Amino acid sequence: MKAIRKTLDALYLAGGIIAAVFLILILAIIVAQMLARWTGQVFPGATDYAGYCMAGASFFAFAYALNHGAHIRVSLFLSALGRHRRWGEVFCFAIGAIIATWVARYAIKGAYWSWKLNEKSQGLDATPIWIPQISMVAGTVLLAIAFWDHLIRLLVSGQHGMLNANRAE
Amino acid sequence: EKWDMPMAYAASNFHSEVGANFAKCVTDGTGGDLEIVTHPSGSLFSGNEIKRAVQTGQANIGERLLSAHQNENPLYGVDSIPFLVSSFDEHEKLWEIAGPKVGEVLHEDNLHYLYSVPWPPQGFYFRDPVQSVADMKGVKFRSYSTATARLAELTGMLPVQIEAAEISQAFATGVADSMISSGATGYDRKVWEHLGYFYEVDAWLPRNAVFVNLDAWNGLSDETKAVMNDCAAKAKAEGLQRSKDYTQFTLDGLKEGGMTVERASDTLVEELKVIGATMTDEWLAEAGEAGKAIVDAYKAGN
Amino acid sequence: MEQLAPIAIFLFVLFMLLGSGVWVGLALMGVAYVGMDLFTTRPAGDAMITKVWTTSSSWTLTALPLFIWMGEILYRTRLSEDMFRGLSPWMAKLPGGLVHTNIVGCTVFAAVSGSSAATLTTVGKMSIPELRKRDYPEKMVIGTLAGAATLGLMIPPSLTLIVYGVTINESITKLFMAGVFPGLVLAGMFMAYVAITSKLSKDFDPKPEPPMTFGERLANSRFLIPVICLILVVIGSMYLGFATATEAAAFGVIGAFLLAALQGSLNWDTFTESLMGAVRTSAMIALILAGAAFLSLSMGFTGLPRGLADLIASFELTRFELLMALLVFYIVLGCFLDGISSVVLTMAVVEPMIREAGIDIIWFGIFIVVVVEMAQITPPIGFNLFVLQGMTNHEMNFIARAAIPMFLIMVLMVFVLIWFPELATWLPENIRQRNG
Ligand code: NA
Ligand code: NA
Repeated sequence: MKAIRKTLDALYLAGGIIAAVFLILILAIIVAQMLARWTGQVFPGATDYAGYCMAGASFFAFAYALNHGAHIRVSLFLSALGRHRRWGEVFCFAIGAIIATWVARYAIKGAYWSWKLNEKSQGLDATPIWIPQISMVAGTVLLAIAFWDHLIRLLVSGQHGMLNANRAE
Repeated sequence: EKWDMPMAYAASNFHSEVGANFAKCVTDGTGGDLEIVTHPSGSLFSGNEIKRAVQTGQANIGERLLSAHQNENPLYGVDSIPFLVSSFDEHEKLWEIAGPKVGEVLHEDNLHYLYSVPWPPQGFYFRDPVQSVADMKGVKFRSYSTATARLAELTGMLPVQIEAAEISQAFATGVADSMISSGATGYDRKVWEHLGYFYEVDAWLPRNAVFVNLDAWNGLSDETKAVMNDCAAKAKAEGLQRSKDYTQFTLDGLKEGGMTVERASDTLVEELKVIGATMTDEWLAEAGEAGKAIVDAYKAGN
Repeated sequence: MEQLAPIAIFLFVLFMLLGSGVWVGLALMGVAYVGMDLFTTRPAGDAMITKVWTTSSSWTLTALPLFIWMGEILYRTRLSEDMFRGLSPWMAKLPGGLVHTNIVGCTVFAAVSGSSAATLTTVGKMSIPELRKRDYPEKMVIGTLAGAATLGLMIPPSLTLIVYGVTINESITKLFMAGVFPGLVLAGMFMAYVAITSKLSKDFDPKPEPPMTFGERLANSRFLIPVICLILVVIGSMYLGFATATEAAAFGVIGAFLLAALQGSLNWDTFTESLMGAVRTSAMIALILAGAAFLSLSMGFTGLPRGLADLIASFELTRFELLMALLVFYIVLGCFLDGISSVVLTMAVVEPMIREAGIDIIWFGIFIVVVVEMAQITPPIGFNLFVLQGMTNHEMNFIARAAIPMFLIMVLMVFVLIWFPELATWLPENIRQRNG
C-alpha cells in the first residue's frame, strides 16, 4: 500500500518537474529565436517547438496542480453542505474522474490517429504530431489517475489528498 | 440531415462567400434533405484543424488551404511551386492535370475532393524598393512554410516565422520587412500602413479545396451526389471568376492605400525564374514519379 | 427556437456541474459533451481532443506562462515592496489611498500584457499582500483588481483585439491605437470610483501612511526605478520593434531574474518556487482554456450563439437600440463563454449587422472589448473571478460581489463610448502612418 502511495506521489511530482522543464524550454527557445534573428541566423520551427513546450508545460502539470489545489472550482455549494461536505466532494471527484478518464481515453485515441494518419505539423518543423502529443497523453492519463486516487482515498479514509482543500472563507 | 462546414477565412472573404453559396445551392437542390451550414472565420474548427476534423468525421465537409499540408504529402503543394505558372490561365492548366492526382491523394486520406478555388497570384511585399535579388539580401522575410523558408534562403533573405494573426504586428514593429502573399492578404490586413511596395511576380496560386469525409460521401444517395457535383461545378466557376475580379480590386486597393504596385523588374523576374527552377527540381525530388508526371504533362502542354 | 428542451437541459447541466463544485475546466468539458451529444451526431471525444490539442499547443499562448512566471519572480523579490514604497507617497494623498496602486499597476502592466489573466496575476501577486497588510477593505482591493485587470485586454497589446481584427479583416494597429484612450479613461473612472467610495464608506479605514515632504517622495521614487526599467525593457522591446509579445514576455522573465539577483533575493529556493508556482497557475488556466475551447466548439455545433444573433437581427433596430441589444446579448453570452470565443462565434452574424447600421467597425472593436471584458468579471464563468479565487482563496460569490461596482463602471464606459466615439476613433485616424 505504502509503496503504491509513494510511487503515485513521485509520479505527480515528476509531472510537475517535467512541466517546469518545458516552461524553461519555452524561455530558451524564444531567447534562441531572438538571438538567431539578431545575428542573421535562422531557427526554423521555433514557434512550433515553443507551442509543443507550452502543451508539455500544461499537460504534465495538470495532476500536480490538482494536488496543490490550484485548479479552480466554485465551492459555494460544498461549503453550504457543512458536515455533509464529504458526499459533495465524492460527487465532484467522481464526476472529475469520469470526465478526466474520458479526456485521457480520447487523448490516447487522438495521438494514435495522428500516428496512424501520419499527420505532420503544418509549420516549418514538419514534426510528426504524435510525438509532441505524448505530453497530452501522459498528462491527461496522470490527471485521470490522480482523480481516481483522490476519490478512492476519500471513500476509504474520508480524506482526499488535495492541499488547501478547505479554503479560508 | 445537417452538415456543418468549417471554413478558415473571414465571412467576407470571397472563398467563404463562394462556400456559403455552395452550401445554399446544396440545401436548396436537395429540398433541405441535406442542409449544409458554413462556419467561417475558423469559428468551428480553425484552419489547421479542418483537414483532420473532416478526415476523422468530426465534421462531414470542410475547406482548407491545400498547400498547408505539403509536409504530409508533397503533392498537396503542387499549386505552390514557385514560378512554375504565372497567370490564372496557366494555373488552371496545371490544375486540370494535377487536380485529379490531388483528388486521389485526398481519397487515400479518407476525403472526397469536391472543388477548389485559387487565391489571387502571390507577389512580393517589401518595405523598401527592390530591383533585383541582390536588393533582397538580409531583408527579414515572413515565412510560414517549408517552401517560403527555402525561397528566403535562395534569395538571401532572412526567414522569420510569423503566424497569420501576427502579420500586422510584425510589420508594425519591424520584426518582418517583407512577405510573399496575394494582393488580397495585403489588402485585408491593410499592410500599406507599414510596407511601401508590392511587386506582381505571380509566383504561384495556392488553392482552397472543399472536401467531404469519404464515409459521409459514400452514405449519400446518388441524387444528392449529383446535386453536390452540380453545385461544386458552379462554385468552382464562380470562385475562379471572383478570384480574378478580386485580384484587380485588391491591387487597386493597395494603390489607394499608398503602396507602389508594379510588375517586378525584368532583372528580378529572370533571377526569380532561376530560383523557381531550382525549387521545382527540389519539389520533384520529393514528389517522385507522381509529381514528375504532373510537371512533365504540364510542360508538354505549353 | 423549437430547440427549447435541449437548451434547458444544456443550461441545467452547466449550472449543476459548475455549481456543485466540479473543477471549472472539467465542468466546461462535461457541458460541452452534453451539448454535442444533444445537437449533433459528430463524435464528441475526437472533436474535443482536436480542440484541446490546438488550444494547448498554441504559440500565442506561450506569453501567458512567461508573464505569470515574471509575476512569480517579482513576487518573491523585494520589488513589490519597492513599488509600493515608490508609488505610495504619490497615491497615499489621493482619496482612496493605495487602492489606486491596483489600478495604476494594472494600467501600466496592461501595456505589456495581452491578457487580463496575466495582468491580474502579476499585479495581484504584488498588490494584494501589500494592501492587506495596510488594512484596506478586502472587497475594494479584490473588486478594483478584478476590474482594472480587464484593462489588459483594452490597452494594447490585446489578444481579443487581435482576434477581432483578424475576424473582420481590419487593421490591428488601428484597433490597438483605438484602445489606448478608452483604456486610460476607464482607468480614470475606476480611480474616480475608488476616490468617491473611500470618502463615503465607513469601512474604509486603512493604516495611515507616514507623512512625507515632496523631496522625500521624490527620493522614495528611486524605488520605482527597477520597475520602470523592467517596463521599459518589456514595452520598449515591443514598440521599438525588436520583439513580439511573447519575446517581450521572455525579456520580462530575464529582467525579473536580473533584478532579483541584483537585490540578492535570487537563490535556488526562490527560483524553484517561482517556477513551480508559474507551472501550477498556467496549468490551471490551460485546463480552463482547454475546456472553453471545447465548449465553444460545442456551441458552434449547436448554433445557439448564431441563432440568438439572427433573432436580434430580425428586429430591425435603430443604431442605439442595436447597440443596447448587443450589450445585453454579449453580457448574457459572457456569462457562459470567454471573451475571445464570444467574439469569434458571433462576428459572422454581427459584423454585417454593424456595417449595415453604419457603425464604425474600429469603434465597435473597442465597444465589444469593453463588453466582453465585463464577461471576465461576471459569474458563473468569469476568468478574472477564477484567477482571483485561486489567488485569494475567497469564495466565488464574494469576489463576484466585490466586482459588481466595476461591472457597472464598465457599463457606464459603454455609454461614454457611445456619447464620445472620438475617444476610440481619433487616434487611429490621426496616427502618422509609416509609409514607404
Ligand atoms: Na494589454
Ligand atoms: Na462571465
